[in-house]
Amino acid sequence: MHYLASTAIITAALAMASLPAIAAEGKLVLYTSQPNTDAQQTIDAFKAKYPKVEISFVRDGTPRVMAKVRAEIEAGAPQADLLLIADAVTMEGLKKDGRLLAHDKADVSAYPAGTHDPAKFWFATKLITTGIVYNSKATLKPTSWLDLTKPEAKNLLAMPSPLNSGAAMIHAITLTSNLPSGWSFYEALQKNGALAAGANGDILRQVATGEKLYGMIVDFMPIREKAKGAPVEFVFPSEGVSAVSEPVAILKTSKNPEAAKAFVDFLLSKDGQALALKQGYVAAHPDVALPAGYPGRDAIKLMPFDAAKALADEAAARKRFSAIFE
Amino acid sequence: MTLAAHSGWKDPGPRPHRRGLSLPSGYGLPALVAACALLFGALPMLRLAGAAFAPGGEFAPEAALAEIGSRAAVNATLHSLETAFLSAIGALLIGGTAAILLVVTDVRGKRPIAFALVFSMMIAPQVAALAFLSLLAPHSPILALFGLSPAPGTPNPLLGRGGIALVMALHHAPLVAITLWTGLRSVPHSLVEAAELEGAGPTAIISRILLPVLRPQIAAAALLAFVAGIGNFGIPALLGLPVNYLTLPTLICRRLSSFGPAGLPDAAALSVLVALVAGLGIAAGMLATRRTGGKVEIERPLQPFWRLGRARPFVAGGLCLLLAVKLGLPFLALLGEALTPALGIALSWQNLTYDKFAEVLLRQDVTVRAFRNSLLFAGSAAMILALLSIGFAYALERRMGRLRRAVEVVIELPYALPGVVLAIACILMFLKPLPVLGISIYATPFIILFAYLARFMPLALKAPLAAMAQIEAHHEEAARLDGAGLWQMLRFIVAPILAPAATVSALMVFLVAFNELTVSALLWTSGTETLGVVLFSLKEAGLAGEAAAVAISASAVILLAMLALDLLSRRLPQDVLPWRI
Repeated sequence: MHYLASTAIITAALAMASLPAIAAEGKLVLYTSQPNTDAQQTIDAFKAKYPKVEISFVRDGTPRVMAKVRAEIEAGAPQADLLLIADAVTMEGLKKDGRLLAHDKADVSAYPAGTHDPAKFWFATKLITTGIVYNSKATLKPTSWLDLTKPEAKNLLAMPSPLNSGAAMIHAITLTSNLPSGWSFYEALQKNGALAAGANGDILRQVATGEKLYGMIVDFMPIREKAKGAPVEFVFPSEGVSAVSEPVAILKTSKNPEAAKAFVDFLLSKDGQALALKQGYVAAHPDVALPAGYPGRDAIKLMPFDAAKALADEAAARKRFSAIFE
Repeated sequence: MTLAAHSGWKDPGPRPHRRGLSLPSGYGLPALVAACALLFGALPMLRLAGAAFAPGGEFAPEAALAEIGSRAAVNATLHSLETAFLSAIGALLIGGTAAILLVVTDVRGKRPIAFALVFSMMIAPQVAALAFLSLLAPHSPILALFGLSPAPGTPNPLLGRGGIALVMALHHAPLVAITLWTGLRSVPHSLVEAAELEGAGPTAIISRILLPVLRPQIAAAALLAFVAGIGNFGIPALLGLPVNYLTLPTLICRRLSSFGPAGLPDAAALSVLVALVAGLGIAAGMLATRRTGGKVEIERPLQPFWRLGRARPFVAGGLCLLLAVKLGLPFLALLGEALTPALGIALSWQNLTYDKFAEVLLRQDVTVRAFRNSLLFAGSAAMILALLSIGFAYALERRMGRLRRAVEVVIELPYALPGVVLAIACILMFLKPLPVLGISIYATPFIILFAYLARFMPLALKAPLAAMAQIEAHHEEAARLDGAGLWQMLRFIVAPILAPAATVSALMVFLVAFNELTVSALLWTSGTETLGVVLFSLKEAGLAGEAAAVAISASAVILLAMLALDLLSRRLPQDVLPWRI
């Protein structure tokens, strides 16, 4: 009897412990640049843990999500509680404008310093690199960014426009500040008939269908599509790749900051990071394995990137890019 | 209602006045109709011009003029003009030929062919564009079937000017066909009989009699296709953006979506430019149709007079080929894309999967929500407009006198202009909270509903106006003698007579609004996504197969609605359904 009672108490205690510390509930709106399917899986997994939170998402490319956020702030009716968008530079801009809410209690002990915002306004969730995709029928197997300026790739290269994709914006800034040729690299691409338009999804479609044979693209799209049988290959070029961290942040105007914090905690937790792996992303958490199709974590060479400088240069880079390709 | 007020109302109209006009509420109804026209038609356009030429309330047209004169705007204007012009010619050739064949010959299967032709128009332009795009892509399963697969790396031939003009021509051909076959039906058959007595053959009758008689309708149809081409967003967005071939609506969307509210004055300036280009089209259209004025009483409408004989199956085959190209092939391509497991692999029985349908219809909240939203928005717009159209038809036909033309033009504006322009106007009007009430409808479903009401009102008015013109005034007069008030008269006399026409209006509005993208593309927010928005977003996220699954499901809904309408049509007066030849 005594034994039974103590078991019951222990079971009850365990049940209590597994419950979230704060019973988050109410409505939550997430603005994200994740593809629809991933966004749905993410909120479904969150809902499974916090059934009382009614969470919904809005999906668009990062520049357009931001246009929407800014328009809504202008109208005095920001709808979003949370942002989960491509890059930290945009987050830094919002933080500077005083639009974000810090989440001081977030547990980031498992992550190396420099992964997240030291002031805890935004948190990296993944590592999304931009490299080269090619159709398996292509004759040239590119290994370097410079291969894309070769005659074999003439009129056969497509890349996302920084007007549609946040990752593409960071990619252009990273690439031009790392390659010795700088912006002349993009000018050479333009002379080689490269096309810069649309979002990453459009690039995947064009290369997979053979309309184009080469593309610049975020890693997870072709790696996942290849696993499903599509005729595409992804390359990490020898010079290195650019990367974004798909950060999450809470807007200061959130009507439900408690539930929003729970969402951030979930994304940073082991479960949230395991979900990223399951979806085919490189998780931000250093202990989480890499999905099939990626080289080891150490084998991915990242090009250095100065976020503060990027924030200052963003508008100029966008103009420069548009001037070359439009 | 006093006598003085009555004679005061009489003054503006030189036409002999019907006695049934002076009803107790006097100016109430006309004033209400005029106010609605101002609210839905004039206000958005004025707000737009204000934002462009007087940003911040001060008249400063320099920035707007600079934007209008910029290289990008000039290029986009040229692109808009050339694609709209080419597509109008194409639509006239395709739609005109189809209309003439369907009306004057004894070809078999007219009803199903006309039905399919109208159905193909109800398919949203971005769906049509997506379908043609995958049809001619190097991986196209259909081309592979014929052994015609282009080499990988071949640019899709539909991207750019030619493709946009071609797909728009095909897309707007039914619009031309409906206008022309409605016109053809009002040609008296006696004209044909007279010519036959003179020994004229069918081709001579068509070229020497029907075409000259139809000239106003032909001009109107061509201009309709032209204006629709100027305003089209879905087709140049899918076929032009990937190769940086921008038309005015896509340029506006890019300015707005990538630069946020900072881009608003620029976008407004460009919108004024589109309004100008499209407005020229409307004005030309009104000039062309004005001469149709005097309506003749037709004792016997045009009957098929061209016995095709042995050519009959070939003509039917030709029309079916057109349908196969316009409707069948794109659908097969969409189906192929929706059923293969990944992009770029051929469809076969072994790899066929329904996952994408399951994903979008069962797993993703957002698509399900979009279906619900589109049903809700299109449904409520249809209901409200059907009810309004009864009062409007009565007021315009009986009570507005000379004001009628002006009111009609104002109501017509939001429909003739590109949806993007209307959406920007709505954003400008509702970004700040409403005056007096202090509440904001921005980022609520009501802003989309407002835009739908404004945009589709002229569409809803067409059938009830035509029906009202056919009703003798004596019913209303009798009601007035019995002492019925205006409301009672509308409720018990006019409404029952106009009900069938209003029902058709409602369904037409529903069909067009259900798949609409251009208006909601800028007005949606969390929870108010429409089908068009979701389709575009899926494609951008690299989920082309899922996008195809949504497109097919949406088309299925439209098809069901049209079939229901067709069944219902036995109880409706003739001529109200556009595919009933």
